[in-house]
Amino acid sequence: MEKTQSHYNRIAAIFFLLVGIFFALYARTVEIGSWQEPGPGFLPFWAGIILAAMALALLFGSYAHKAWPVRPSFFPRTDSWKRVLATFLALIAYNLLLPYFGFTATTFLFLTLLVKFIFPQTWMRTLLVSILGSAVARLLFINFLETQLPKGFLGF
Amino acid sequence: MDIFTHIALGAQVLFTPMNLFFCFVGVLMGTLVGVLPGLGPTAAIALLLPNTFHVAPVTAIIMLAGIYYGAMYGGSTTSILVNIPGEASSVITCLDGYQMALKGRAGPALGIAAFGSFIAGTVSIIGLMLVAPPLARFALAFGPPEYFSLMLLGIIILIYLASGSMLKALMMFVFGLLLSTIGMDAISGTQRLTFGLLELSDGVGLIPAIMGLFGVAEVIANVEEEIKRTIISTKLKNLLPNLQDWRDSFWPIIRGSVLGFFIGVLPGPAPVISAFSSYAIEKKISKHPEKFGTGVIEGVAGPEAANNAATGGAFIPLFTLGIPVNSVIAILLGAFMIHGIQPGPMIITKHADLFWGTVMSMYLGNAMLLVLNLPLIGLWVQVLKVPYPILFPFILLFCLIGVYSLNYSLVEVALMIGFGVFGYLARKFQFEMAPLVLAIVIGPMMENNLRLALVISQGSPMIFISHPISAVFIFITLALLISPFIPWIGKRRQKLQEKVEGEEV
Repeated sequence: MEKTQSHYNRIAAIFFLLVGIFFALYARTVEIGSWQEPGPGFLPFWAGIILAAMALALLFGSYAHKAWPVRPSFFPRTDSWKRVLATFLALIAYNLLLPYFGFTATTFLFLTLLVKFIFPQTWMRTLLVSILGSAVARLLFINFLETQLPKGFLGF
Repeated sequence: MDIFTHIALGAQVLFTPMNLFFCFVGVLMGTLVGVLPGLGPTAAIALLLPNTFHVAPVTAIIMLAGIYYGAMYGGSTTSILVNIPGEASSVITCLDGYQMALKGRAGPALGIAAFGSFIAGTVSIIGLMLVAPPLARFALAFGPPEYFSLMLLGIIILIYLASGSMLKALMMFVFGLLLSTIGMDAISGTQRLTFGLLELSDGVGLIPAIMGLFGVAEVIANVEEEIKRTIISTKLKNLLPNLQDWRDSFWPIIRGSVLGFFIGVLPGPAPVISAFSSYAIEKKISKHPEKFGTGVIEGVAGPEAANNAATGGAFIPLFTLGIPVNSVIAILLGAFMIHGIQPGPMIITKHADLFWGTVMSMYLGNAMLLVLNLPLIGLWVQVLKVPYPILFPFILLFCLIGVYSLNYSLVEVALMIGFGVFGYLARKFQFEMAPLVLAIVIGPMMENNLRLALVISQGSPMIFISHPISAVFIFITLALLISPFIPWIGKRRQKLQEKVEGEEV
């Protein structure tokens, strides 16, 4: 289905409405204070309310106009979402695996995965890039810049 | 002290092997990210910031500033040769620059872009030297209400100039303010929304936020589909513009420099706006406006000068008021704080070496860029040929390691990925990043000044209007907020927005 900007605005408005309400409610638990002596909850409370109000304005505004331009579909290609999702998952996996497998091995896996599967390259090229890449990254960050990166159970 | 003593002081600071080296690294990195599409100066500066923790503050600022103006140089190279602007500020350079390249005049186009940038850089540094100190003295009179109003005005100007929908930009700003309240409250010491995580008690980190919003989100948007690039493979010869080229571009460069400098002082995507304005002006006063877009050298010289001058102008609010006008300056402000320098009008007097050292480094950096860009253009073209499928995993890797090495915290890495998701989606929903980033940086300052002002006035918000300087700021802020509803101003603003759409401020 073709989506117009008003669809997008509606979804965003509901998201920010919830965020605003959340902060305003949360602020009540940490003492809002008074105008004479504003407490730690003062800004979160009022900013939360303002955000919620603006979100409502956006929500109502999305119904007010008729002639919204049709937006191009969310993903430019039908298979775009696969690459986007895979890249995000690779990032999350990197974060989770880093302490266990250590910097060098995780980096090697990460590079291999992305080079091979996002815009598929030949295995030859993939391995060349990921082996060289992880080796150079190791030399640069651990041996040269002496960054304290996890070594993992493999010990390197 | 007169100005020559200051220049001598600056030179003394600059000419140490360490500072010269970092100045060089800065402009080199800047040119590199300027050349590479999909990695902007904002992410690059955030990336290198952790590596500057162990050096002196002035050295750090020299390098980070170098990245900023270096990127403006590099951006023009891709515009001219590939018709892909490396930075949004060189979008306009594509129009005539690429046409010149097609006609076999890529050399003079690149040459005049480099020379124009050099001249403009110099003009804006002189402006910075002349304007900043008196402005800082004026700002000494500012108290909490003035600062709060000024920051409010700054952010509203940014929103007014840059955004598609003002409402949505305002929402991003308030959302950023809310995020900035996470962590320990500076006045009462209360923990807010930290969920017991130690990492969050210092607040949401600026670096994870920026790396997520500008680094990760940008890459994710680029993996949606493969972008094919064709690079003009003409022999690059005659990089030096001839006499006629100089005659055609001398005044556009001067006009662009002055224009860029003054626009640069304002919050917002100044390099972009000034480049577009310069192009419009040159076209308007030209004797042959119909030739614009077919490869006239004025169309390259003016905008390239303007966007470089704007980077110099942007440093004025940073050094005099401690207020950032765009995301890059916001990170520099973050760097000040990390190095324990209290931003504000005292910087120029209290840290004279920092200010004058940075200013002098900009002279030298501009000269270095001229040397880097003219003979090394061939190398940058090679860099452009690295295919994106191979490049992007490394950009992500740098983001991951960059954030991790800040505090050796995987929570912050997770935070960065979270900001990446948010930034990617927010762009799809046409929300702006700049108000969010600025709010995260100046949020704590705004909150403290607001609360102090209210304590001073014993709870009366009238303090913002009863103090005259503050009242002026509030008045302009309100005027800007109301103006889109006045039809003829609203239309002009829309026109301006169409020009700067898709900009990374």
